[in-house]
Amino acid sequence: MELKICHLYPDILNLYGDRGNILCMEKRLQWRGIEVSTTGVSIGQPLKAADYDLFFIGGGQDFEQEVLLHDLAGEKTAELKSAIEDEKPFLAICGGYQMLGEYYKTWDGQQCDFTGALNLYTIGSKQRMIGNYCFTCTELDGQSVVGFENHSGKTYLGDGVRPIGKVLSGFGNNGEDGMEGARYKNVFATYSHGCLLPKNPVLCDYILKIALERKYQTAELPPLDDVLERSAHNYMEKRLEKK
Amino acid sequence: MKIRVFFAVLSCRLSRALIRLVGRGGTDFPGRIALKLCPNLLGVLAKNVTTVIVTGTNGKTTTSRMIEQSWIDSGISYFANKSGANLLSGVTAEFAMHSTLGGKCRYTHALIESDEAAFKAISQYVDAKAVVVTNVFRDQLDRYGEVTHTLENIRIGISNSKNATVLLNADDSLCTSLADALPNPILFYGVDTPIYHTRVHELSDAPYCIRCKNEYVYDYVTYGHLGKYRCPVCGYHRPDPSVSVSRVVVSDEDHSVIVVKVDGTEYETNVNLPGGYNIYNACSAMAAGKALGLDPKTVSRSLSEFACGFGRMEKFQIHDTDVRMILIKNPAGCNQVLNFLTERKEPFIFAACLNDRAQDGKDVSWIWDVDFERLTAMGELVEQIYVSGVRAEDMALRFKYAGFPVERLHVEKDYKKLVEEAVSYHKPVFVMPTYTAMLSLRGTISKAYGFKEFWE
Repeated sequence: MELKICHLYPDILNLYGDRGNILCMEKRLQWRGIEVSTTGVSIGQPLKAADYDLFFIGGGQDFEQEVLLHDLAGEKTAELKSAIEDEKPFLAICGGYQMLGEYYKTWDGQQCDFTGALNLYTIGSKQRMIGNYCFTCTELDGQSVVGFENHSGKTYLGDGVRPIGKVLSGFGNNGEDGMEGARYKNVFATYSHGCLLPKNPVLCDYILKIALERKYQTAELPPLDDVLERSAHNYMEKRLEKK
Repeated sequence: MKIRVFFAVLSCRLSRALIRLVGRGGTDFPGRIALKLCPNLLGVLAKNVTTVIVTGTNGKTTTSRMIEQSWIDSGISYFANKSGANLLSGVTAEFAMHSTLGGKCRYTHALIESDEAAFKAISQYVDAKAVVVTNVFRDQLDRYGEVTHTLENIRIGISNSKNATVLLNADDSLCTSLADALPNPILFYGVDTPIYHTRVHELSDAPYCIRCKNEYVYDYVTYGHLGKYRCPVCGYHRPDPSVSVSRVVVSDEDHSVIVVKVDGTEYETNVNLPGGYNIYNACSAMAAGKALGLDPKTVSRSLSEFACGFGRMEKFQIHDTDVRMILIKNPAGCNQVLNFLTERKEPFIFAACLNDRAQDGKDVSWIWDVDFERLTAMGELVEQIYVSGVRAEDMALRFKYAGFPVERLHVEKDYKKLVEEAVSYHKPVFVMPTYTAMLSLRGTISKAYGFKEFWE
């Protein structure tokens, strides 16, 4: 078995250690004897979505985001949309999450159009939502997800898109409705840096399983020794409970 | 006004004495009290003092200690803010401690290391003679935001410093962009040659031209985004430095030997600290000497004598084993520590202490941007790795996913046990703590093994 991961704009959307998510997916596949290859697709490079089984998009700085949006529009957006509709799994973090939505409107009313792959939008606010946080994941029964959020955009979900789960501690999508992240087909979008997957191995395996099952119909992921992973997760979960 | 100054200085001194009496550092709080009593205190105290401000993301403290040594050797009457007290309140407190109760500074010169965000505030009160900008890297994002924001703080600080000569790192495209709209005299310094044999894989903090957003091309990279860059589209490029490192002769575990060119004359210089990034610090110290009209020969000699700053490659001997403490604050700094470590030829013990308090950066995700895989690639040379600090578990995960064998990876949150275990192998120990972890760890080491407390 083999998974082909596409890492979108690895040289630009690389601000908060998000590449650790790629590393985590790679290792957890390799430790189980499953082959994996990751290809970075950046500015000026064509994207052939059919070549990949799993997509990752991270977050970046505003300065570079402008360069990127120009490149993303058009053909790349069409490829991304067709991969999403084709039920390929996506993990999108923070800026990458916002970019899958319809648009970003700054607090003083300027609108920046995004891919529109998901029915959601983001409104800039003056408040920075920042800190360690914790949320449930509806599909992982009883297992919470811990991470670090840092955003001033407030994201609102439209019809057909559901949240990943409920915020237990922190702000989440907008600090208003108590929800975090977005789920649509096999897209997982979240504000969670941390980085996300190493501390949440159950979520990582869940996404990998979807990718493998989609490609090979059936997939077995034997358990790994997750003592360190669990202790990092539990440490933060407990610390946030005490708050 | 006079009476306000009097009480502010007095209260600052008393509160600091009190805090030290109970055995704490007290570098910040006294200044906050003084500023409450007299908001313009810094302006009054800094008047007529020849002040040099050192700012930037990395290397502020070490550069300051190098400049300080050159001032001692040049016979300058000065004081400097030590112990990393570099916020507005901390700097005010330092001036107060070195002034008479009437508000007159007892020294002709002041050397101030300033947080790039606080520089903006400090520069409103202090009329600096020179401003040294070390570099601009991505820092603790939860505190400073993006690099462009950091850059803007420095730009505002400089525009407040109307009479200052501005010393800029020619190899840093972000830093040199500051020269654009400034009327100040600019002095560029830089390194004319690559530094490392092999470099760790680093993400560039500035891959795209700050003017036209096209990708830079480099003739060579020293580290991070530093090097001889130029934009193929708009032509923006590294300026020629007037103070530059023309050759790196030796760069080993204990020191570097470099050749520094000042206005065309070469000075062979022994830098009493290892690490390629300290070559940059030495170069900026030479540039600072030029800005103040010091004899380059004296400054060059000073670099071989100076004592290193607080946690910056600071060496302790514990049970006959060398323990070097290397403070880290952000990915760029951490990568330079790794560049240094990967050139080691003898086995060593490595320890990383990760805290996530405000001064460390609350967001620890940056550890995933650092190429720790390079330590794994060194095989048995990295004999053991210890992780500690509030976020020890996250650090442990980073090494696990970097492929470091978990049998040689240990989580030890108790600093005393950490030190004891690390030195028990009788191999050199390199400890890499974040800021508040360094304070605790240093406190533990002072208490247990009788080293000086940091404010002494």
